[in-house]
Amino acid sequence: MKFQLLAAAAALLVGFAGAAEAHGPTRQKTTQSIEINAAPDKVWTVIGNFQDMSWLPPVEKTEGSGGNDKDATRTLTLKGGATVKEQLTKYDADAKTYAYRITEVDVKVLPVTNYSSHISVKGEGDKSTVTWQGAFYRGFPNNDPPAELSDEAAIKAVSELYQAGLASVKEKVEKGS
Amino acid sequence: MRAALVALSLVVAGAACADEAFVTNQTGDDLTVLDLAAGKAVATIPIGGKPAGVAVSADGARVYVTSPEGKSLAVIDAAARKVINRIPLEGGPLGVAIHPSGSPVYVADWYAKHILVVDPATRAVTARVDVGASPSGLAVTPDGATLLSADRDSDQVSFVDLKTLQRVATVPVGQRPFGVTIDRDGRRAYVANVASNDVSVVDIPTRKVVGVVNVGERPYVVGLAAGKAFVSNQYAESVSVFDVSTLQTLATIPVGEYPEGVEASTDQTKIYVANWFSNAVSVIDVATLKVEQTLDVGDGPRAFGAFIRATPAPAKP
Repeated sequence: MKFQLLAAAAALLVGFAGAAEAHGPTRQKTTQSIEINAAPDKVWTVIGNFQDMSWLPPVEKTEGSGGNDKDATRTLTLKGGATVKEQLTKYDADAKTYAYRITEVDVKVLPVTNYSSHISVKGEGDKSTVTWQGAFYRGFPNNDPPAELSDEAAIKAVSELYQAGLASVKEKVEKGS
Repeated sequence: MRAALVALSLVVAGAACADEAFVTNQTGDDLTVLDLAAGKAVATIPIGGKPAGVAVSADGARVYVTSPEGKSLAVIDAAARKVINRIPLEGGPLGVAIHPSGSPVYVADWYAKHILVVDPATRAVTARVDVGASPSGLAVTPDGATLLSADRDSDQVSFVDLKTLQRVATVPVGQRPFGVTIDRDGRRAYVANVASNDVSVVDIPTRKVVGVVNVGERPYVVGLAAGKAFVSNQYAESVSVFDVSTLQTLATIPVGEYPEGVEASTDQTKIYVANWFSNAVSVIDVATLKVEQTLDVGDGPRAFGAFIRATPAPAKP
């Protein structure tokens, strides 16, 4: 998984994907979901705190401020030392959903720019579905991107990250850890 | 069979808004044709090259679609629902607008600092007009005299004289202007500024910003209907509505995820909003300011430009 493998390369900080910076002409999207054998409330206790992303495998530490209020921020430190800065843009505990954006990441860590994301839990009884979706541009803002910063590379990296994250949530919740 | 014919003729006869929408589905690489009176898709036209920009000709006969990744301009016969020509271009063709006479077609090159002037008859790029960085939205004044270009990464609108094909003015607007919309009188332009979350109101004759209206997060483009401006806010998942005379905000209407292209019905009673993440078009009633219908389209609808045409009245026998 690139998020993990490339974390070590993050010392080579070459540029940040700030808000509304230059980007390619085609925004990409991915939606991943997983079914979990547990009540939605139980799933929400694992993923519902913006200040704790320990459920995502590459994340070693979450530090931030503002709790779960709009505009709260967090810095994820990944295994290997790279960091990702994010900002909470929507939070609705009743609907069990929130949205956030990456405000700073090296494209060597995650090959995207102008990234935004939603995550939500739905379900009934002892069954839940977690849906995680992202919208982003490829890592290379100009024409004719290199393969590692192409649209395909961006979609693959985010999709695989989501799949790994959702599998980890399922495991945590179903094991009751 | 007879019932079907009667139903069809009733729809045509009652055609207060027998409009069609041509919605570019960038992720899906195609174009959905919506019959707006019937409220459903009637055709899907394969395009390729990640289509984004769209412009319907004034007579409704042709639809031009840009493919920034495919570096081309597709020419579509609107009635036949077919691509009849594909003009190879350069760079990253994005915004597109047509001269009111039907030709030429102006295409913004997202990667260059110029607008391509394309003659659809000869398939030739006849000129390149210098503007600012990352030109995106384009609009032509109704008299065909002036082209406006939202130069996204220069935070300005360029004014181009269409006779001389020279830039004659630049007007500083908000941060990262994307969509530009000219009113039917050719008096004012409305520019959505993605990064400053506002709309610049530009007086066209004096080339001055005469107002700034705060809207929701990441505004994309402005649609105009019956004295109201409708602004798609991509991050806020809403449409901001303001009165074009007072510039006062009238409403904020929740729509789908990542609302982008916005345009009014030809009779100005409805506003159509393409929701990029939701794969749907929201139909807003201009009088009540409520979403009254949601229509399914293809994957990743952008509909960036003029995407609605009035279907021609049936010929009298």
